[in-house]
Amino acid sequence: MQSYEALLRRDADGNIQPELATDWERIDPGRFRFYIREGPRFHQTGNELAPEDVVYSINRVVKPSVGFESPQTSQLAGVTGAEVVDGERAVDLLSDGLNPLLPRQIPNNGQVIEKEWAQEHEKSYIAQHINGTGPFQLTSYEQDVRAVFERYDDYWRDEAAVSRLTFAGAQEPSVRVNQLIEGETDITVNIPPQSVSRVRSSEASITPAPSTRIIYAAMKTTVEPFTSPQFRRAMNYAVDIRSIIENILSGFGSATAQPTLEGFFGHNPELEPYPYDPEQATQLVEESGFADTTVTLHTPVGRYLRDVQIAQAVVEMIDELPNVTAELKQREFGSLSSELVDGDITTGPAFYLIGWGNPQMDASQTLIPTLTSDGTLTSWQNDKLDTLVEQAQNTSGDERKQLLQEANTHAHNQAPWIFLNRQYSVYGTSPRVDWQPRRDERIDAYAVNPAE
Amino acid sequence: MDLVRFIIKRSLHGVFVIWGVVTTVFLLRFVSPSRVTTFILPLDASQETRDQIASELGLNDPIYVQYAEYLWDLLHLDMGQSYISGLSVSAQVFSRLPVSVELAILAGIIAIVLSIPLGVISATRRNQPADYVATSFSLLGISTPNFWLGLMLVLLFAVYLGVFPTSGLARMGGERVLFPRAFIQLLTGDPQYLIAWLSHILLPAITLGTYFTALITRLTRSGMLEELGKPYITALRAKGLPEVLLRYQHALTNTLIPIITILGLQLGLLIGGAVITEAVFDYPGLGTLLVDSIYDRDWITVQGILIVVGTGFVIVNTAVDALHAYLDPRVSKQ
Repeated sequence: MQSYEALLRRDADGNIQPELATDWERIDPGRFRFYIREGPRFHQTGNELAPEDVVYSINRVVKPSVGFESPQTSQLAGVTGAEVVDGERAVDLLSDGLNPLLPRQIPNNGQVIEKEWAQEHEKSYIAQHINGTGPFQLTSYEQDVRAVFERYDDYWRDEAAVSRLTFAGAQEPSVRVNQLIEGETDITVNIPPQSVSRVRSSEASITPAPSTRIIYAAMKTTVEPFTSPQFRRAMNYAVDIRSIIENILSGFGSATAQPTLEGFFGHNPELEPYPYDPEQATQLVEESGFADTTVTLHTPVGRYLRDVQIAQAVVEMIDELPNVTAELKQREFGSLSSELVDGDITTGPAFYLIGWGNPQMDASQTLIPTLTSDGTLTSWQNDKLDTLVEQAQNTSGDERKQLLQEANTHAHNQAPWIFLNRQYSVYGTSPRVDWQPRRDERIDAYAVNPAE
Repeated sequence: MDLVRFIIKRSLHGVFVIWGVVTTVFLLRFVSPSRVTTFILPLDASQETRDQIASELGLNDPIYVQYAEYLWDLLHLDMGQSYISGLSVSAQVFSRLPVSVELAILAGIIAIVLSIPLGVISATRRNQPADYVATSFSLLGISTPNFWLGLMLVLLFAVYLGVFPTSGLARMGGERVLFPRAFIQLLTGDPQYLIAWLSHILLPAITLGTYFTALITRLTRSGMLEELGKPYITALRAKGLPEVLLRYQHALTNTLIPIITILGLQLGLLIGGAVITEAVFDYPGLGTLLVDSIYDRDWITVQGILIVVGTGFVIVNTAVDALHAYLDPRVSKQ
C-alpha cells in the first residue's frame, strides 16, 4: 500500500477508486478491461509503468507457470489470466464465464511490480526489496523488526505529506502503549481495551474503527447436537453479545446478525441480532431433543482481540442454561487452524471460535469459504445456501445483491454460527499527526498529515 | 598437554551434541500437528495451492530425503531459506546473534561485579546487618519474575522519569548501534553512540542480570562459608597468614570453581533464552526470533537458530570446562 499499487484502490470508507487504472469496463462476461494510467514510474529503475508490467503481475499471482505458486491465488479467485490489449494502453483480465467479483477484488490485490526487474532478481531479493510505483520507497528492512521508507519524489500524484515512514514491530501490547505514551511512535495498532484509559489520560488519543473481520462460533451442522437448527438457534439466544461487547471489549465492537457485515455488498439491513433470551434458548434445546448434552468450544489464544475472554463468556452463558453443559478448550491458533482448513468437514472440532476478514467487502467472500459445502473452512452443508451462492456468482448487479441477501437471511435463520461481534481495530495516535483509520485494517501513510 | 587433550575431547563431544540437536529438531516438526502451509497461505487457500506450495518447499519428499538434503546443505554452511519470508536463515540468525550475545554478556558482567563482592561481604560478616541486606536482596532477586521487573523498570525509568527510552535497539541515523560500533566511535571522540547504546541496553541487562546476581551472591556466600570452615583454613590461620590473603587467595579461589561452571551454563542459556526480557523491551534478539518462528511453524528457521544457539552453548561450556580444568588440575586428569 505504501510502495506497491494496484489497478484500483479503496478510499477510507471502502469505495472503489482508480489507482494505476484510469477507467475500467466489462467488455463481455469473461473479459474485463482496465485502461492503464500514463506517468507512474518504478522506484528502483525509474522506468515508466507499461501494460506488460500489469499483465505480468496479475499472471504471477494466478498462473503458477509464471514463476511460482503464489500464496495469494485465492485473493484473485476467478481470474484466469491477463493480456495486453493490442493498440491500446489497456489490459484485459480474463475469467471462465462471468466473474462478478470484478472489479471488487482488485484493490490491494495483484499489485504491480516491474516485469523486467522481477525476472532479473531472485525470490529472496524481491522479498527484501520493493520496486513499486507508490508514494514511498523502501530504504531499509529488518525482518520482523523495522522497515523504513522515504517519500518518493517522482510520485504520480501529489507528494506525500510524510517525508519518512518507519514501521516498527512490537508484539507486546505494553511495549506499544509505552512507546505511544512516550511519544516514540505516532500511530499504534491494536491497543488492548484494558490500556485505553491509560492512553486517554496521556497526550495521545484513541481512534477505533470497525474492521472487515467478523468473530463467530461455528457449529458443524454434521455433528450432534449441532445437526438441529433449534439447538443452534438456542445457542444464539443463550449468548448476550451486547454484554460481551460492553464488558469485555469496552464497547469496541458491534453485534452481528448474519455472516456479512454492514456496509458490504449483499448485507441484509433488515436482519437484527438474536436477542439475549435464555428462557427461549432452554425451550429450544428441549425441542431439539438434545437436552442435557455437553458442548466444547475450541478457541484460539491471542489471535483476535480478547478471543479467550469472549470464548469464556460464551461458554459461561451457555453453561448457565439448565439443560446444556459447556466447556472451553484453549488452542494454539496454528494447530486449530491446521485442523480446520483441510476442506474436510468431518475432521477437526465441531464447535470453535474463529474470525474471518473480508477485505473485498463482498458477501460471497465470507459465504463461499466458510459456509458453502466445498468451502475450505466450512462448517455447514446446506443445499439451499449452495444454490443461492452459486446463482449469485453467475449474475451481477441488483439481482446478485438480492440473492446474497437471501443467502444471509437463510444463514441467520438456520444459525450455523453463533453470530458474535464485528471486530474493531483500536488505534492510538499521537497529537503530532492527523489521520483517520480505514475499515480494511490497513494503514495508508499517504493519508497521514502533520497535525495543524 | 593433558589440558589440550581434554579440550580436543570436549570439542568432539560438542560436534556430537550439535548433530543430536539438528536431528532432534529436524524430527520434531513431524510430530507437530500443524503444517507450515497454514501459516504461509490465507485460510481460504485451496487444497491444491497448499499441496503445490508444500511441494515447492520440498515438504512432500520422504523424511530421509529431506533430512539428507538438509544435512548436505548444512555441511556447505547453508541453513536454507525461511519458509515464511523466503529470506536466508543464516543472514537472519547472524544479524540477531550479536544483539543477544552482548545483552547476555552485559547481564553477566553486571552479575559478576555485584554478586561476588556481595557474597564475600555477606559470608565474612555473617549475621551482621550487611549480611542481612545482601541475603534479603538475593532472595528478592531470585523470587522476582523477569517480566514484572522489566515492566516496572520501564514504567519507572522510561515512562515516569523519562531517563531511558522505553524499548528497542539503539539507532543512530537509522543504523542500529552495537557495542563495537559504539566503542570505535568513542575512540574517535564521539561518545554519542556509546550513550545511545548504554541507554537502550541497560534496563534489559539489569532485568536479565538481577536473577543472575542474586543466584551467584547466594552461591558465593554459601561457598565461602563452607571453605572458611575447612581445616586447611584453620591450619593457615594458625600459621599466622593474614586474614585478607586467607579469604581472597585461598577461600575465594576455591569457591569460584563451581560458580564458573554455573556462570557458563547460564550464559549459554541466556543467548537463546532471554525471550521474556526481549519481549518486554522489544529487543530484537535471537529469543524473539525463535519464538516467532515457532509460532509460524517456520521449522527451517527454528533449526537454524537452535544449531547456532547449541553451538554457542557448546563453545561456552567447553571454555568453562577448560577454565575449570586449569583452576583445578584434577579435572583434566580424570
